[in-house]
Amino acid sequence: MRNPFQPLKKDNWVKPYMKKYKGLLCLILVLGLLTFFCGAALMFNAGYLISRAAQRPDNILLIYVPVVLTRAFGIGRPTFRYVERLTSHNWVFKVTSDLRKRLYLTLAKDAAFFQQHFKTGDILALLADDIGHLQNLYLRTIFPTLISWFLYIIIVIVLGYFSWFFALGMALLLAIIVFLLPLVSIAVTSARVMQKKQLTQQLYTDLTDNVMGVADWVISGRENDFIAKSQPTLKALRKETLATKRFEWRRDFCIQFVFAIISVALLLWTNRYFTTSPAAVNWAAAFVLSLFPLIDAFAPVSQGVEEWPIYMSSVTRLNNLKPQEQALPQQAKLPTTVPPISFQHVEFAYPNEPNIINNFNLNVTAGEKLAILGQTGMGKTTLLDLLLGDLQAQKGAITIAGVPVAALQEQRKELIGMLDQKPFLFNTTVRNNIRLGNLEKTDQEIDEALKAVQLGPLMARLPKGADTVVEEDGARFSGGEQQRLALARLIVQDAPIILLDEPTVGLDPITEKALLHTIFSVLAGKTIIWVTHHLQGIQNADQIIFLEHGKINMQGSPHTLYQENARFRKLYALDSGE
Amino acid sequence: MIDKQLFSLSGIKKVTIMLVGLTVLQAFMILFQGKYLALALVKTWHLRPLNLLGPLIGLFFAAFIGRHLINWVKSIVLDRFANQASQSLREQLLTKLFHVGPSLVAKQGTGNLVTMALDGIDEVDNYLTLILNKMLNMMIIPWILLIYIFTLDVKTGVVLLLVVPIVILFMIILGFAARDKADKQYAGYQLLSNHFVDALRGLSTLKLLGISKQYANNVYSVSESYRKQTMAVLRIAVLSTFALDFFTTLSIAVVAVFLGLDLLNGKMPYFPALASLILAPEFFLPLRDFSSDYHATLNGKNAMQAIRQLLALPEATQRQALTSLTTFGANDELEFKHVNVSYENNNEHDLADFSFKVHGFQKIGVMGPSGSGKSTLINTLGGFLLPEVENGGQILLNGQQVPHLSQEQWQNNFVYMPQKPYLFHATIGQNIAFYQPKASREAITAAAENAGLTIWLKQLPAGLDTVIGEGERGISGGQAQRIALARAFLDRKRRVLLFDEPTAHLDIETEAALKETMLPLFKDHLVFFATHRLHWMQEMDQIMVIEAGRLVEMGTPQQLQQKQGAYTQLMTQMKGAKL
Repeated sequence: MRNPFQPLKKDNWVKPYMKKYKGLLCLILVLGLLTFFCGAALMFNAGYLISRAAQRPDNILLIYVPVVLTRAFGIGRPTFRYVERLTSHNWVFKVTSDLRKRLYLTLAKDAAFFQQHFKTGDILALLADDIGHLQNLYLRTIFPTLISWFLYIIIVIVLGYFSWFFALGMALLLAIIVFLLPLVSIAVTSARVMQKKQLTQQLYTDLTDNVMGVADWVISGRENDFIAKSQPTLKALRKETLATKRFEWRRDFCIQFVFAIISVALLLWTNRYFTTSPAAVNWAAAFVLSLFPLIDAFAPVSQGVEEWPIYMSSVTRLNNLKPQEQALPQQAKLPTTVPPISFQHVEFAYPNEPNIINNFNLNVTAGEKLAILGQTGMGKTTLLDLLLGDLQAQKGAITIAGVPVAALQEQRKELIGMLDQKPFLFNTTVRNNIRLGNLEKTDQEIDEALKAVQLGPLMARLPKGADTVVEEDGARFSGGEQQRLALARLIVQDAPIILLDEPTVGLDPITEKALLHTIFSVLAGKTIIWVTHHLQGIQNADQIIFLEHGKINMQGSPHTLYQENARFRKLYALDSGE
Repeated sequence: MIDKQLFSLSGIKKVTIMLVGLTVLQAFMILFQGKYLALALVKTWHLRPLNLLGPLIGLFFAAFIGRHLINWVKSIVLDRFANQASQSLREQLLTKLFHVGPSLVAKQGTGNLVTMALDGIDEVDNYLTLILNKMLNMMIIPWILLIYIFTLDVKTGVVLLLVVPIVILFMIILGFAARDKADKQYAGYQLLSNHFVDALRGLSTLKLLGISKQYANNVYSVSESYRKQTMAVLRIAVLSTFALDFFTTLSIAVVAVFLGLDLLNGKMPYFPALASLILAPEFFLPLRDFSSDYHATLNGKNAMQAIRQLLALPEATQRQALTSLTTFGANDELEFKHVNVSYENNNEHDLADFSFKVHGFQKIGVMGPSGSGKSTLINTLGGFLLPEVENGGQILLNGQQVPHLSQEQWQNNFVYMPQKPYLFHATIGQNIAFYQPKASREAITAAAENAGLTIWLKQLPAGLDTVIGEGERGISGGQAQRIALARAFLDRKRRVLLFDEPTAHLDIETEAALKETMLPLFKDHLVFFATHRLHWMQEMDQIMVIEAGRLVEMGTPQQLQQKQGAYTQLMTQMKGAKL
């Protein structure tokens, strides 16, 4: 079996924060201990109180102290517990804020890494979940376990004061519950956790096939296959779950069995130890009764520790995030006039793949509108990533106004703006979204940008105008409107080079036509590189290139291509429906 | 307090009766555990030697073990019941999904349905495992103990009895206060809790805008204000646990003091006092257990409600009404007469007064501006949407009237191709043979060849046996369409083709190549082709122009061209400027 504590050896996502907030952490542990102490002390006191009272002492003052203490512990237990719960949650949320910022910065560091690994939202959600798992790691595993350990030490020391022999026996019995069974739990469940995770993933795939493919299932008429599809996975999953549960039932019974032995041992010991005199005998009930509240501190440790493997896979994933920060050369500073762009003998390949860009040469003059066409996977978007500097070419040079793009990274936002297939809108107001383009713009300038992209009337119709929240994924607005919002953000950003990555894919032709018209009229004068999937609006381009296998295989102005190139004519005819 | 939907589960009666028996037995075990523990301690208190304690300790031990053995048995019983009930619920959910079909997915959202079938059912399972046991414990154990405590000492019994309503009252009041507080903050709350994922997903945009580093502080401060808001709610929410804790612990302290005073005054002997004290915490234990799992059960309860609501949705009946069509042929006819179709919650018709008639292997182009009802028509033709029964609309196949097209016979006759065909997590071969799982390898290879997949398949090491779909290698839009086309090439008995914007996401070159493959397939098929892409219209025999759910024009391309009506108008709107 793999060592379940391995992920913590070189960890820097869990331990540093326990150090950073160690004051509060100690407070939580002390409060936790006090809670259980009060619980035990209450029963201890009560046991003593009634035993002593039953001897009917002449002086009521003799039981006065236990009476007061009983009330004090009675109030103390819930109060400490309340404060402990709040403090521990507060602590965990504090750490969460730190972790979130850190995860964010880690991912923000490395552009290329991010591009390749984190394009899908799934992985991002997974990482966000990992931080949620760390919260539970603290609340459900680390805190209760630490508290139980301290309590264990205290109990053994206290008993040792009376009888080292009995203390040793208790230490061994309690060790079964505090150390042995939790370790057994990890050993037994960690293999199962992995197996279960795989099966759950398989079930997810099966069910997705059922749900997403339901139209095809209905048409095929294979109702029995449809229902049966997930049965084998469900059966296997049930088998695993049942095996885990059976183990838990057995283990929980073992824990109680040990407690039964401990209570019998306590009964026997107190009978021997405290029956020396009528005064001493009152402690017998006190000791025995104080055991029962403590069961609550020890019994759940195994359950909490059992979840260890789940948390450790999150810890491992976070620790494995090692962004390669790109070493930037000496940074240059360009004036923000409209510059020319040049690609010279550029070659690029993704790791372990053949070249996607091959000896690629292209000059884009200042203010030129270039359209790039080509089939999926021919490297259109790769060219844009290279120009942005998010990817680095293995050979050749990419320059803006003669300066390599790597030397312009710090100035990038002033030079390049981009509009892609589905613009990302943050879940905040329209105005805030647009202001992200340039934080210094006034509300008035933002409203002007909104008017320029023809959203003025729409904003006027909304009850809250430009203060309307766009909702998750911009859901408040249609696809065309979302593109216009992103375009307004570009206007506010006011960079001289604009990259368009298929901004109209998925839009209907009428919306597309109107959007392209707006794009090219508000961005007139800028250098534009426009990746497009078809020829609608192609008259806006000064130059068109067709990419195939990393090279240009057709190039020219729309008019020249139309007159001289039969293939272009055919595509054009297709696109315009003639 | 008792969830009524539980009674609808099969086998619930038997399980409940069993559990009641076990719980009563367990209550006595707890009672004996306390009683014999007290008796043993009394002997010690009287300074009796160990050998006199022996039998009492034995009985205490037996009761202690018996109590937990019963827990074990209960776990087994409950697990079996919960598993059976939740599995049957999952099966019902899947059956429902199959019968209601894509419109259910459209309404519920894909993610939502998968989550419901996966996590929702697990939550129900958990709910069923917990709720019955906790409820019965609460309804049985304290009261048996209380009766015994009354026989020991009336005053203690009264104190314990009085605390229960106080605790419940406080928990209800504080529960409401917490909910109020949470409700007030809800909107802002959601925004804050999703902010982090939003920031991660928008990271590349933030980088482009040059503010990714600055935004880190924003991430931190939003997380901090989330913490403060959450803590404000928690302070009240945790108060209800505090109230439970406070009153129960304090009442034990009070009982101890009362008992002490009575003992002091000689009003009662040692044993009943000790036994009452030992049993007092046990009296409250079931209530505590119930409240600590309350939130876990709440999720399960809600999940169960959501699933049951879904199961109650209406589904298509008379799926075998159609009998006059085995294989659609050159002489078969389909006719719509004044058909109306509406999506739920929509006052206007999505298809209104829709009438047309097609005969044999015609190719019908469906055009119209975005949102005009093209997809609604294709979905109605596929039987995924059911027309309204009122208003006297009729659908006729070969003259036989059917209530809707969710007809088994009809659905055996067509192939449906949406904008993005769904690819199953299976091999390419299995995906192609999805409608005919028993097709021979040769037939599948031939269909792949016809669909223009051969060159691509040769590049794949495993060829037709390459696994695709969820979590596997990515497939480009063009290849996905070709795999769906291969289904049509494979199944020659399916002579109707329903296309819903199949090329909208493709680049022009891919579309041009795909068109070459598709045109031969159109021969000897009835084709409905909804699209925005104008060039397809040249290949059609008839064109339907839809506007706002109404069929405004229908005719051959030439007729419509001459007519200079809606069709030509739409063409001009869509066409770009000429080069």
